[in-house]
Amino acid sequence: MTASLYWYLREFARIEWVRKFFFARTAPLVTPAYFRGFPEPTGKSCQHALFCMMVCPAPGAIDVVHEGDGWKPRIHKGHCIRCGLCVEACPNGILKSGRVLETMQAQGTALLVSFGIAIDRDLCTGCGNCVTACPVNKQIDAQIGAGGHSSNDEVIMRVDDGDVQVLHDEKCTGCKTCETSCPTRAIQIARILEGVQQPAAGEDP
Amino acid sequence: MKRTVDVNIPLGPIHPCFKEPARVKCETKGERVVAAEVELGYMKKGIERIMKGRPWQEVMFLAERVCGICSVIHNMVFIEALEQISGIAVPPRAAYLRVIANELDRMQSHLLANFSYCYTIEHETLAMYLLDCREKVMDALERLTGARVTCAYMIPGGVRCDIRAEDLRSLRESMDQIEKELHRYTGMFENGPMIALRSRGIGILTKEAAREAHVVGPTARASGIAEDRRMQHPTYTQLGFMPIVRPGCDNYARIMVRFDELFQSIRLIRACLDGLPKGIIRGGGVCKAGEIRYSGEAPRGELTYSITTDEVGRVAEIQIQTPSIMNIEACCHSMIIGADSIADVTATFVSADPCIACTER
Repeated sequence: MTASLYWYLREFARIEWVRKFFFARTAPLVTPAYFRGFPEPTGKSCQHALFCMMVCPAPGAIDVVHEGDGWKPRIHKGHCIRCGLCVEACPNGILKSGRVLETMQAQGTALLVSFGIAIDRDLCTGCGNCVTACPVNKQIDAQIGAGGHSSNDEVIMRVDDGDVQVLHDEKCTGCKTCETSCPTRAIQIARILEGVQQPAAGEDP
Repeated sequence: MKRTVDVNIPLGPIHPCFKEPARVKCETKGERVVAAEVELGYMKKGIERIMKGRPWQEVMFLAERVCGICSVIHNMVFIEALEQISGIAVPPRAAYLRVIANELDRMQSHLLANFSYCYTIEHETLAMYLLDCREKVMDALERLTGARVTCAYMIPGGVRCDIRAEDLRSLRESMDQIEKELHRYTGMFENGPMIALRSRGIGILTKEAAREAHVVGPTARASGIAEDRRMQHPTYTQLGFMPIVRPGCDNYARIMVRFDELFQSIRLIRACLDGLPKGIIRGGGVCKAGEIRYSGEAPRGELTYSITTDEVGRVAEIQIQTPSIMNIEACCHSMIIGADSIADVTATFVSADPCIACTER
C-alpha cells in the first residue's frame, strides 16, 4: 500500500505539474500587429475630404464632425466592420488600422474616389431642386433660376426639356446635397472607387 | 413477433453535429432509412436583395458575408465577375496572391469539414487535432490579409495589400508544419479501423446518381466525376492544376478527397510562392456596365455569380448560385437512403459538407 502511494505521488505530484495546477495561466490576449482593427486617428489634422464617409460599406459607421477649430472623423464601433477602406481612401492618412496604412505607404497603393451622378429617368420630375441645391453649381453660375435652367455649359447639371441633364459629373464633390433635396429620390450619387498603385521610384516591390 | 413500426424521425434543425440549422426528416423501417427529406429555410438572409443598387465596395463585403466558411471565394468570384464585365486586367503578382488567399481559405474550410465529420462519428481526438491545424491556417490567412474570416482581400484590378517578406517566410514555415501534421492525421483517418467501420461503404452516391443530381465539388470528385472550375481559371492553369478524383463514392472517399485537396492546396501555395512574379499588385480600372455569369470553385463546388451592372458600376441585378444545394439534395435522395442506422444519417449528411448559410443566402 505504501509502495503504491509512493508510486502515485512520484507519478502525479511532479513539481512542474503541481506548479501548472496552481499557476495555470491563459495565453495573454494580445492583438497581433497584423490584425485589421477599428480605425484610429494618427494625429494628423482632418482636411474634411469626406472620402472615408463616401467609401464606407457599412452605412453610418463613420462620420466627420466638428471639433474645436477643425474636423475629426468619428467611428461608431457598433457599425464598423473593420474593413479598412476608410484608411485606404483618406488622401491625408489621418486614420490607421492594423498594418493597412503602413503597407499602403510602403507599397504606394491608394484608392481613388470619384463620383458619378445616376438619375432615374422614370422618377425624375424635372423640378430642378438638385440643380439649385448643388453648391458647385452655385459657384459656377450664380444666376441659376429656381426651375434649374441655366445658360452656362460649365454647370454640373441643369434642366433641359423638362429633365435633368448631367453635363460635368467629374466636378461633383460627392456632398449628396442633391440627393437630400430630391423629392422623388431620382438622383443618386454613385461612389466610384479605383484601386491604384504607384510604387516609389527605384523600389523593387 | 415484434412488429416494426414505420417511424418518421426528424433530425435537427438544432443538432449538435450540424454546424448550421437544417432539418433532415427520415422515414425509417426499424433503423433502416427508406426515405429522407431535407427542410431548409432556417437562416434566410435575403442578401441578394440587399446587394442591389450598391457599388462594388459595398457588395464585396456583403458577398463575403454570404458564407462564413468560404468567404474568400465569394469575394474572388464577385470581383472576377466585375473584372470580366469591365475588362480590367489583373497584374500577375496579384493573381498569384489571390490564389494563395483562396487556397488558404479552401484549406481552412476543408479542415473544418473534416473536423465536423470526425466529430460526428465521435472521433473527437482527430477532430480536435484538425481544428488545431485549422487555427494555423487561419493565422496564416490573418497574416496575409489582416483578418481571419472576412478578409476583403481582393478588389477590382488587384488585391488590397502585398505579402511581406517575413510573412512569405512564415507562410512557408507554417505550410511545412501543417503538411507534417496533416500526414499524421490523414494516416490516422486512413488506418483507423473504427473510422473505417463508420465510413467505408456508407452513404454511397454512385457516379450515375451524382450526375443525375448535378453534384459538385469534393462530393462529385469522390464519386469519380473529374469536375473542378479551377481547371478553367487562368492562374490555376498556369500552375498546372489537375483535379483530384476518387472512385470510392462513400463517406470515406469524400473525406479523403478533402484530405488530398489539402495537400494539393499546400502544393499550389508553394508553387505560387516559388513563382511569385514581381511587380505591382493593383492595376486600377473602373467598373462599367455589363452583364455576366461567372463561376469559380468554392470549397464545396461550383459557385456562380450572375451580375448585371449599370453605367456607374453599381450592381443592378445579382443572383448567386451556391454549391451546397445540389449536394444536399443528392444527400437526401441517394446517400441517406438505405442507411443502416440513424447515426449514419448525420455522418453522411455532414460528409457532404452542407453549407446552409450559402444555400439559403
